[in-house]
Amino acid sequence: MPKSQFINPDEIRKSGVLSFQDIQLNQYNKSIRDEKENFSDKDLMRIYRDMAYIREFETMLYLIKTTSEYNGVAYNNPGPAHLSMGQEASAVGQAYLLGIDDFIFGSHRSHGEILAKGLSAIEKIDDTQLYDIMKNFLGGKILKIVEKGQKSVKDLAIDFLIYGALAEIFARDTGFHEGLGGSMHCFFLPFGIYPNNAIVGGSATIATGAALFKKVNKKNGICISNIGDGAMGRGPVWEAMNFAAMDQYTQLWEEAYKGGLPVIFNFFNNSYGMGGQTYGETMAYGILARVGAGVTPSQMYSERVDGYNPLAVIDAMRRKIDIIKENKGPVLLDTVTYRIAGHSPSDSSSYRTQEEIQAWEEQDVLKSYSAKLIEANVGSEDVFEAIREEVKSRITKICAMAVDESISPRMDLFKTPDAIEKLMFSNEKIEKMEDRPVEVNMPMSENPRVQAIAKKERYGFDAEGKLVSKNKVFQLRDGLFEAIIDKFYKDPTLITYGEDVRDWGGAYAVYRGLTEALPYHRLFNAPISESAIIGTAVGYAMAGGRAIVELMYCDFIGCAGDEIFNQLAKWQAMSAGLLKMPVVVRVSVGSKYGAQHSQDWTSLCAAIPGLKCVFPVTPYDAKGLMNAALAGTDPVIFFESQRVYDVGEQFHEGGVPEGYYEVEIGEPDIKKQGSDITILTVGSTLYTALKAAKELEEKYNISAEVIDARTIVPFNYDKVIESVKKTGKILLASDAVDRGSVLKTMAANISELAFDYLDAPPVVLGSRNWITPAFELEKHFFPQPDWIIDAIHERIMPIEGYVPTRNFTDGERIRREKLGV
Amino acid sequence: MATPVIMPRQGQSVESCIITKWQKKPGDHVALGDVLFTYETDKATFDEKAKVEGELLGIFFEEGDDVECLLNVCVIGNKGESFEEFDPKNSAPAEKAEETEKPVQTETAASPQTVSPQITDNEHLKISPRAKNLAGNTGADLRFCTPTGPNGRIIERDIRKLVSEGKTVSPAAAKEYAAGGKDVVGTGIGGMISTSDLSAPAEDAKAAPAPSVTAVNFGECEEVKLPNIRKVIARQMHASLSEMAQLTLNSSFDATEILAYRAKVKEGREKLGLANITLNDIILFAVSRVLPNHKDLNANFYEDKIVYYKHVNLGVAVDTPRGLMVPTVFGADTLSLSEISSASKKLQDEAKSGTVNPDLLRGGTFTVTNLGSLGVESFTPVINPPQTGILGVDNITTRVKLVNGEVKPYQAMGLSLTFDHRALDGAPAAKFLSDLVSALENFSLLLAK
Repeated sequence: MPKSQFINPDEIRKSGVLSFQDIQLNQYNKSIRDEKENFSDKDLMRIYRDMAYIREFETMLYLIKTTSEYNGVAYNNPGPAHLSMGQEASAVGQAYLLGIDDFIFGSHRSHGEILAKGLSAIEKIDDTQLYDIMKNFLGGKILKIVEKGQKSVKDLAIDFLIYGALAEIFARDTGFHEGLGGSMHCFFLPFGIYPNNAIVGGSATIATGAALFKKVNKKNGICISNIGDGAMGRGPVWEAMNFAAMDQYTQLWEEAYKGGLPVIFNFFNNSYGMGGQTYGETMAYGILARVGAGVTPSQMYSERVDGYNPLAVIDAMRRKIDIIKENKGPVLLDTVTYRIAGHSPSDSSSYRTQEEIQAWEEQDVLKSYSAKLIEANVGSEDVFEAIREEVKSRITKICAMAVDESISPRMDLFKTPDAIEKLMFSNEKIEKMEDRPVEVNMPMSENPRVQAIAKKERYGFDAEGKLVSKNKVFQLRDGLFEAIIDKFYKDPTLITYGEDVRDWGGAYAVYRGLTEALPYHRLFNAPISESAIIGTAVGYAMAGGRAIVELMYCDFIGCAGDEIFNQLAKWQAMSAGLLKMPVVVRVSVGSKYGAQHSQDWTSLCAAIPGLKCVFPVTPYDAKGLMNAALAGTDPVIFFESQRVYDVGEQFHEGGVPEGYYEVEIGEPDIKKQGSDITILTVGSTLYTALKAAKELEEKYNISAEVIDARTIVPFNYDKVIESVKKTGKILLASDAVDRGSVLKTMAANISELAFDYLDAPPVVLGSRNWITPAFELEKHFFPQPDWIIDAIHERIMPIEGYVPTRNFTDGERIRREKLGV
Repeated sequence: MATPVIMPRQGQSVESCIITKWQKKPGDHVALGDVLFTYETDKATFDEKAKVEGELLGIFFEEGDDVECLLNVCVIGNKGESFEEFDPKNSAPAEKAEETEKPVQTETAASPQTVSPQITDNEHLKISPRAKNLAGNTGADLRFCTPTGPNGRIIERDIRKLVSEGKTVSPAAAKEYAAGGKDVVGTGIGGMISTSDLSAPAEDAKAAPAPSVTAVNFGECEEVKLPNIRKVIARQMHASLSEMAQLTLNSSFDATEILAYRAKVKEGREKLGLANITLNDIILFAVSRVLPNHKDLNANFYEDKIVYYKHVNLGVAVDTPRGLMVPTVFGADTLSLSEISSASKKLQDEAKSGTVNPDLLRGGTFTVTNLGSLGVESFTPVINPPQTGILGVDNITTRVKLVNGEVKPYQAMGLSLTFDHRALDGAPAAKFLSDLVSALENFSLLLAK
């Protein structure tokens, strides 16, 4: 909360009435004749043609799914097909005015939107540029397949579009992204077609993030989140709408950045969320357009549009694009439509009557539109028939190519077993995502935090080997700050946001000093919307930027589960490497705050392929790993422990370097040499282990080697295996709960890799499988130094004269597991 | 969760133990460390302590039962839990059949290092991969290993200990007996099993059935079941006398020098940090030094062959509350007087308290028994088969001898050597005795050697 804004009790408590404006429903009522000033006959016919392509494309998939044959082409497609027959007018109408700088983001039912946007783009782009796009895309792989015997570049481009999409749907190596996305995740960036999303409402936060990128980096175009009416039931959609409309855009951001985000939340409202009827059953809005009135004073310029009339949709889009250009976004559109086919081909329509389907078929978009054109003498039935024939023959030709192994092979994972593996991470080093000056408020040397840090001791021990006091020492939080501010002065696209990051400086004072350094549009407070915080960062990175976002507590990962696990983690590989994901998610692991604020969820993130996970616990490692994370192009979940934000550097000789350096992600570090047993830790348990190692050495003459994992994914086992070969024994410890801990995976790997050298099974010591109790009871929950010695004594190597206090025996293990605790 | 308690294997060679007393009964609460039952091997008595807490749910054997090692004896758990599934009588009969087919393990007290080869028994052998590799590389003889890892696992340090103690086996032999599964007698350096040992016939001293005591009117009497150890002694002694050609030679020597030496040690031992050296220790030392020159007596005799030993593993007969025990001082010929003294003192104490490792109750090549301290002037010691001799130490008496025509009294100590005439004749036996007498009478010279 900035001090410039005053919460006035007199204002807040004042009596009055909140009034709303009327929300327009299907107000479009122009005739073809009225529209002749806006459209040529050719344009009107092309609208029909585009709808016909979608209808035929979806019909082809429907027949293949249900009869394994389309027009003589036999094929079995086991993958999904959520078809949109009936929704063609809304897709074509939306795409009609959009350029390639306008980005659409789709849903599981977006084949129609891809074709409509693609056909619209092909019409608008000149032939040279169009050919270049095709030639440069995936090294011309798709172009080579469709290039032969074309009449024109535009004809070629239509084949290119339909083939690329269909081959992608059929999981072919020749698809738009090598078959790794498929039907529900298809896209083609050069035409402004951004990813569809199989998670209902998944595109809302991502489109918002892309719109944020456009605003912050002053890019042309708008973003559209194309989701269904069912998506209005999802929290992240509401989070996204609010995020796109936050007051600060108009009240606090600098003049050049004022105004809401350029995004349309377009709901293709077909009245069903799968089989659940949104209107009348599962939702409460009555009319979806109403929701806009609940989000912003502008009511999100919400209106209901007749999605069964392409001209009505185009009319609405024209008006809404203007609103967005005036920086008055976001906009909500309730585009009513109907899908004739089921949710998927396996849908028996048990939730609706034939009567209802027939009623909509009678108003079929293609038939009713062509009837109007005939009536207005724009076209004749013969011409429409000819269009349908041409469409059918083209789709038949492309379908035959797409199912042909010799033309459209699948990724050969025998020949190139690493084909997917190498796409999981992009592993690039890019200093700045765009090359232009950075916007900052002052030279870095004038920053008060930078000046304060300059006076600090960069090594944790003084000349006599005593710990430097907390107030004087360069702390872990300072290491993070140095890396982050450095990148802000290098990469103009870098932005950061999260809860209480501005003014407050973050709950743990990592960002203190950044408020002075950065304008609002590069550092701002996010609403308490974890889904939106992560989801927008995904969209921001997809659009070409770099972001650091923050979750104040690790426990809040649960609130952003889809965005972290399905979006952030997967888009690089699902895009076959076409998308980069330079997003660092700072996650603070709590302590002292009980069951919902003190959990180490590193294991959850480590379990999801596609995320890099790091957990530094020394200032040297924190700065070096943050530098590495910010230099890279992969999503990094950057865990920080609230126990150690204030520690000084106790390991790196000479302390934390002032200049730039990176600690390689994936390399563990030996923090203490030893010969009798290896202790591998993740997180702040390092310090616990060092205490145990000290006692082992002083009291029992056992020399422990302590290794700090630093990174969880990726992880280089070499050093650990080398150590285990020496000691023959290893104990792994962290604050994560014992069950399902990633340490169990590590222990299993070590067992396999060093089996012949092991003198005892690797032993994992995690927290108890309980709730985290109050701080005063934490020593019964989190691993303690004496637990480590107990576990060594009971499970690895009985220590003469040692009396354990905790039970780590087989019997106790079985008892606990039997109870699930 | 119900946890079974097994009959521990006290030493690699012990096959079964007898439950002498149940200290807890079913239904009793058992705390960690409570004694569950007392049991004995043929040589020692042990207490089995509870390693888990709970209720003693059930027991599978009664007092006096001879229980095969590693079988479940009882079960501790929570009240009401079922435990019958742990009853070894419910286990597969096929396993039993296999057990009985195994060669009957010798129960003789002083047989040589005859043990089942554990290496063939890998499924029961708990050993870490690292320890196993180390054993393979160093030739550590796992049969002598005392596991110190969790759950009775052999870990690296246990192998290092074996190696430091010289308990090793040559790689070729290890391979062969791993394949053959025979009982082996180690005759190599330091008791190392070598391939030549593998052809040695296994000792097969089958126990004779004990004659049943018939109830005749003896008046007031007490009938006591024979403890295992008594049974073993009985069998052993009877076999010894019935199967061997034993005869005893008596002699004595002038103990003046050893008595003076002992008095001197007593005076200065604290300053020098020496053990409290007894007359018996001095005799053990002398025997260990003289014996290597008389290989017939440092040997084991079998029906068709004799095994001569390079080193002297000296059995020391000890009277214990349980009966006679003969722990072994291994490699006595390589130990100093002080070391022999300490070793024999430790073994005697352990034998008396019943805590001696059963593996130390075997492997002797010759035995010394002392009844002299009980005032016996002369006796016929009984040989521990398959050894070929045993030296009895008698008491000290005052005798006279002519020195330069004068009658002088002196302290004489008697020695009674029993030898197996099957293995050697009277003259070599007498020669040993006379060499021993000479060594003892010139003890300072022997020490100087």
